[in-house]
Formats: sequence, C-alpha cells, structure tokens
Amino acid sequence: MNWEFVNAKRSPKQLASAFLLLLLTLPQYLAAADGQWILDQSTLTYHVSHPLRQTEGVSHAARGKGVCHDGQCDFLVAVPVKSFDSGDSNRDLHMLQVTKGAEFPMVTVRTRLPENDSKAATIYADLEIQFAGQTAHYKQAAFQLTSQGSETRITGTIPAALSDFKIEPPTLLTLPVKNEIPIHVEMTWHRQ
Amino acid sequence: MRERTAKPAVWAAVLMIIFLLAPCLRAQGTEATLSGKVTDSLGAAVANARVSAKSLATGQSAEAQTDLAGTYRLAKLPPGEYEVTVSAEGLATKIGNVTLAAGASLTFNAALSVLPSAPQAQPQAPTNNAPNAPPSNRAPSLEDLGFSPSETKSNPKEQVLLDKRTRMLKIHQRLGLITTIPMIAALVTSSDVGETNPSNTNRTAHMILGSATADLYFTSAYFRAPRVPGTKSRGPIRFHKAMAWIHGPGMILTPILGALAYSQKNKGGDIHGIAKAHGPVAIVTAGAFAAALLSVSLKF
Repeated sequence: MNWEFVNAKRSPKQLASAFLLLLLTLPQYLAAADGQWILDQSTLTYHVSHPLRQTEGVSHAARGKGVCHDGQCDFLVAVPVKSFDSGDSNRDLHMLQVTKGAEFPMVTVRTRLPENDSKAATIYADLEIQFAGQTAHYKQAAFQLTSQGSETRITGTIPAALSDFKIEPPTLLTLPVKNEIPIHVEMTWHRQ
Repeated sequence: MRERTAKPAVWAAVLMIIFLLAPCLRAQGTEATLSGKVTDSLGAAVANARVSAKSLATGQSAEAQTDLAGTYRLAKLPPGEYEVTVSAEGLATKIGNVTLAAGASLTFNAALSVLPSAPQAQPQAPTNNAPNAPPSNRAPSLEDLGFSPSETKSNPKEQVLLDKRTRMLKIHQRLGLITTIPMIAALVTSSDVGETNPSNTNRTAHMILGSATADLYFTSAYFRAPRVPGTKSRGPIRFHKAMAWIHGPGMILTPILGALAYSQKNKGGDIHGIAKAHGPVAIVTAGAFAAALLSVSLKF
C-alpha cells in the first residue's frame, strides 16, 4: 500500500480519480458470483445388464463446479470416459469404442438449481448430459441430499439408456446388453 | 489307396475353411468415413456444431456433433454422393457435396462465418430450475474444471484404432467359437484311432478334423486384438492371454505329433516314441483353449 498517498491531503483531482476508479471497478465486483460449489469427491457407477452377467464400471475422476447468481446455481460436472474401470481392460476398451470415447473423451452434466435447494432433503434436477457426441435431457431426476457442516452429499441414479446417445448395444455371444444403463451418483460438494 | 482318400479330404477341409471365413471377412472395407474440423472465420474451433451427411441416392442422413476441438467423424457411411450440412448457433450454415468411395476416409473441413444479424450473448434472466436453456455466460465451463488438454482433446486416430480392434476382436471371437466344433469332433474321433487296428475312415476323419481345427485356430490367432497404447491388461483377459502360452505351442505340437503317429500307423506299426505324446498334448491344448474361451465368456 502507498502510505504517502493514504496520509497525504487529497486534491480534488485525486479524489475525482479515485471515484472514477471506484466506478470502473465496482460493476465487476457486483457482477461476481454470489458463491460457488466445488466437487470434492465423487463415485459414478454405470450398470450394464446382460443375460450372462452384470457389469459395473466405476469412476472417481469427476470434477465439478457450481456458480451461483441471483438465487440460481449453474452446475457443471465432467468426467473422462476413459476413467471408468470395470476391472476388465478388455471390456473397458470395448466400452470406449462403442461410446466413441476417444473422439468424445468427456461426459458432461449440466443443470441449474435454485440456491435454496441445497437445504432440501430431495432435489429434482433437469439434467443435460453430453456423451458420445450426443446430448440427452433428463427431466426431474431425483437426488437425495445430506448436509454436514459445509459439505453436502448427493446420491441418486440417472436413468440413462444407450439409445439416448445413439449407442448400439454391444453384444456378448451374440446377445446384446440391455438398453438401460442406470448411472449411480455419489458426490460430496462444499460451498465456497 | 491311402493317397486317393487323403486328397479329397484336404480339399474338403480347405473348402470348409473358406466357407466359414467368408461371412467374417466380407463385411470389411466397403464402408466409408467422413471427418473434418469446423472452425469460425477466425480459425477458432467450433464445438457442438451439427454436421449431417445426407445420401443423395437414398435420402438417409447421418449426424454428428463436433467436440471441443471442433472435430467430427461420421463412420460406417455407405459409398456414394452426399450433401454435407454444417451448422452452429450464431454462425452461417455451410453446405457442400462430397463423393465417398468404398472404404475411403474423406476430410471435409468447414469454416463458418458469423451471421451479420447474429444476436450477441446477453445475460439471461434466471428461470426456476431450467437448466436446459443455453448456459449463461456465467455458467462454469469445462476449462474451469482444470482438466488437462490431453484429457479433453479428441483423438480420432485412437478411435480408428479402437474401431479396428473391435472388428478384429469380433472375428477372433467368432472364429474361436467355430474352432471348438472341429476340436470337439477331433477329440471324439480320437477314441479309437490309437488302437491296434483302427479303420481308415476314422483315421481320415480325425486327420481332417484336426487339420480344420489347426487352420481355424491360427486364423483366429491372426485376428487377435491389436494393443492400444497406454493400456494395461486387467481382469479375465490376463488369464485368457496366459492360456495362449499353453494352447499356442500345443496347437503347433499337436499336428506335428499327429502326423508322426499317422505315419507310424501307415507303416503298419504301433505308435511309439515322441508320437505317443500326441493324445496328451492335444487334451492339454484343448483344455487350455476351453479355459481361455470360458474366461472371457462367463463370470467365474
């Protein structure tokens, strides 16, 4: 800090400059976010059903952020397709191929929620999911919320289906997997 | 007499292999791929642009969306003439015609100019729980999340490798399953070929089935999936690969030992020496092959 400037007797020209500076910078502060949410931990699990076996792929690599303004929060959660691990590299590579995971490496989920929803026990979110080069919308997906201090834990299931993203169901021994691939979500967020 | 019975049998085995392989190989190489990059007039990549290719012959359309790098890819297109339409919000639509030859990969890049009357981004009035509206300029972007470019960048070359891997794997799996048919039949017919006076018919049938098994096996091995850089084998596929170290050498040894045994029998003597190992080696080989097959088909 410039102490000489602070302690000196200000001239009208200096005061006008300071006022002008304040006018220029104030809108930026006013336009800044009211608050934001950061995703701390996550476990996303997809479930695939086949007449011969049930398969799950898990990812802990999601990152997310929510920016709040005027009582509304815009959330974005993204996870690399490659990060899902089913315990079988052969199956994971096949999943990567059928979902065009090298060409479209990220799954993104966007939603907008009222800020005071964070106090509810259950929220119903409209989701926009981009995956495999396609965009699908899910209306009123239910999620359970539990809050502990500054942390909020969210759990729920997204009722995704292969056809929503124009993915041809992969086959094992000529039998295709089921179209439904529910994705279980467990996330811990904290507010900044 | 023996030569006259063996030759038609070999031809029959060759014909059978050609017949079995034909459907697997026919599907390859007829479909074309259209890919490219969509940019704006300043050369910046345009994400989420819609690219559609409409066949002028059939009227059928295929669609894709560009990724963050502005690239798109339309695979498995039947050859022919297409009208390609590229559109993105706030940018002028571009339409062009391309001709796709069978098996070709064509690049169609599009630079979209800004519409003169394109509306400027305005802060949106928040609506209650309405995320499906276009995100406002305040909404977080993918860049805000701190992913590295290598994680978010599209890699069409890797996608091509993955597509090739899947095609080869399908052939590998089908041929592997088909191989079990002559393999089981060869094991069944082996019960009396080692006896003192086996019939010529049984020995010939066993030889044909053994040859068909070996041919199918090595064709299946040729179509094994290529390695994808940066991936490590995990799960049942490790056991599947480990079994190959048993059934692979076994599939080389079994026909050699079988030929020795066949020769010894043809000379009127008993099977002796190393040729006596033909049966045990064949059984171990078949067992390892079955275990490899089951390890990737059923959950233990």
